[in-house]
Amino acid sequence: MRKIIDVKGLTKTFQPSARVVDGVSFAVEEGEIFSLLGPNGAGKTTTIRMLTTLTSISGGEASVVGRNVTKEPSAVRELIGVVPQEVTLDNELRGAENLLLAAKLHHVPTSLAHKRAEELLRLVELGESGSNRVSTYSGGMKRRLQLVTALIHDPKVLFLDEPTVGLDIQTRTRIWEYIKQLNREQGLTILMTTHYLEEADQLSDIVAIMDHGTIKVSGSPADLKESLHGDVLTVSVNDGGEDLTAFLRSVPNVTEVTRTEDSYRLKLPRVESALPAIIMSIASRNLRITETSFSKPTLDQVFLEVTGRSMRDAQEGNGNGRTDSYAAAHRSETK
Amino acid sequence: MISESLALGKRSLTKWTRNPFAVIVTSLQALFWLALFGNSFNPANAFPATAAGSLGPLQQAFGGASTYITFLTPGVISIVALTGMSFMGVDLVFDRINGYLDVLRAFPIPRVTIYFGGVIQNVAKGMVAAPITFLIALLVPDGLKLAQGFGVLNLLGIFGTIALLTTVFSTFFTGIAISVKSTDSFFAAVNFLTFPIMFTSTAFFPLSFFPGWMKPIAQANPISLASDAMRLLVVNGTLSPAQVSAFIRDWAGLSIFGLVFALLGIAMARNALRAK
Repeated sequence: MRKIIDVKGLTKTFQPSARVVDGVSFAVEEGEIFSLLGPNGAGKTTTIRMLTTLTSISGGEASVVGRNVTKEPSAVRELIGVVPQEVTLDNELRGAENLLLAAKLHHVPTSLAHKRAEELLRLVELGESGSNRVSTYSGGMKRRLQLVTALIHDPKVLFLDEPTVGLDIQTRTRIWEYIKQLNREQGLTILMTTHYLEEADQLSDIVAIMDHGTIKVSGSPADLKESLHGDVLTVSVNDGGEDLTAFLRSVPNVTEVTRTEDSYRLKLPRVESALPAIIMSIASRNLRITETSFSKPTLDQVFLEVTGRSMRDAQEGNGNGRTDSYAAAHRSETK
Repeated sequence: MISESLALGKRSLTKWTRNPFAVIVTSLQALFWLALFGNSFNPANAFPATAAGSLGPLQQAFGGASTYITFLTPGVISIVALTGMSFMGVDLVFDRINGYLDVLRAFPIPRVTIYFGGVIQNVAKGMVAAPITFLIALLVPDGLKLAQGFGVLNLLGIFGTIALLTTVFSTFFTGIAISVKSTDSFFAAVNFLTFPIMFTSTAFFPLSFFPGWMKPIAQANPISLASDAMRLLVVNGTLSPAQVSAFIRDWAGLSIFGLVFALLGIAMARNALRAK
């Protein structure tokens, strides 16, 4: 697999001294879905804006599909599709007209553009609404149209900035399906930002957790969760007062055992694969299991582990919506 | 870059034509200028004994125009171009506020294309309003009286002048629109600039009416250059060699303004649209 995005020591400082992104490094391989996960103000959007040539780079370097973002911005823009956080379609144009304008600005030949526009509208179930003005669309329809507008020129990399923010759960799930389908069927490399834990967990091959402008940890969602030493299995055993801690610790795959008042708390990499062995070991000592329950680690626990606070707390601390340090800096930049 | 600029221009024009209210209001501005201003400020009102609408003894001072509306029409066409071009750039301000400008910045086109797209759509809108102004002036009572010999060449000369003038103002105000960060700033800048441009020009009254210190300003004003060029064609029909020279001077002046403002606008657009 070749690196499609290569970022080394990426830094962004807004005047006078707000360092919004601080020496970020990561690589995205071809065909991967890579998520930058973090609360508002973490520096995710600024990172994506630098990679899409919308914001200048203060330090470090980045390449997209082998093109240097600073030295070859036009070449980078040829190869990427960008879906910003806000819905930024032209409401007075029809759905298909938005797509065809994007095709024109991406130098897609007219006949091919019409064919692509039809295909893409069908893909997101807007085939019959393509001739309606966007102002008549629901929020979800606009998001779907915005997603495919970025695909009209068949880009190598798709940048999605908070693709489902503010959407209801049904619409969010449908957008996830489209993203997965594009990645699976077209091999599209996707770099997205999100502050939704479930979104990062469901969609991503690799998640990089960002906070205060730095990447705290990265890896596949499964690896990140396993780094917390796996699942927790709670077992209540009719042990007649006998302490089974040492015995349970000797069962394969069990990494840690804690005895509580009426149960044992076992840590293990994957509860599904270890559970039969645990049950059989306990049964071999003629003991009876009275109750079991298990919990899997979440990305929120990973976030808590690496930042010392939960995503929810971080989110509330920074405020919701675009009130982050990026937004403040960006407002002064562009408005 | 040309086809992309045209595509962006077409986008705005499509929206404009889908909004009949905007088209009608833009086109009918001239009616108010000609009917209200043309009657209330008509110097012929001071000479009730003369034929209806005639400027009487002031005809010579008004460049030979037989009626005030005849004198005023080229001025109103120029004023409509000024007000139209100055406010139409607001689309770009809204594009910035809505985030659409960022979407355009992410396309693989020279970013100055966005500026040219704005200029093209403004000029096109201006070119739609101008013939309507001309037609209204012909229909207003005691209105525009075309000179004998007025023909297709005169008409082409008038539309060429309008195209030059709309380009002058469009390049200038689109540069402002693409640079400001809010609608408040945009409207403040437009209001601050349009009134001085309007009232230091010969759109409403001839140069001889201005005090000495204002005459050089009025002469160099693009509205004056365009109004005077169109008046030559409306009032005289067939131009004498001296009038042809005056016409060419006016066009040269407008072309210089157009070039300077285009360069200024491009510089403003580049600065406003670059990654920061």
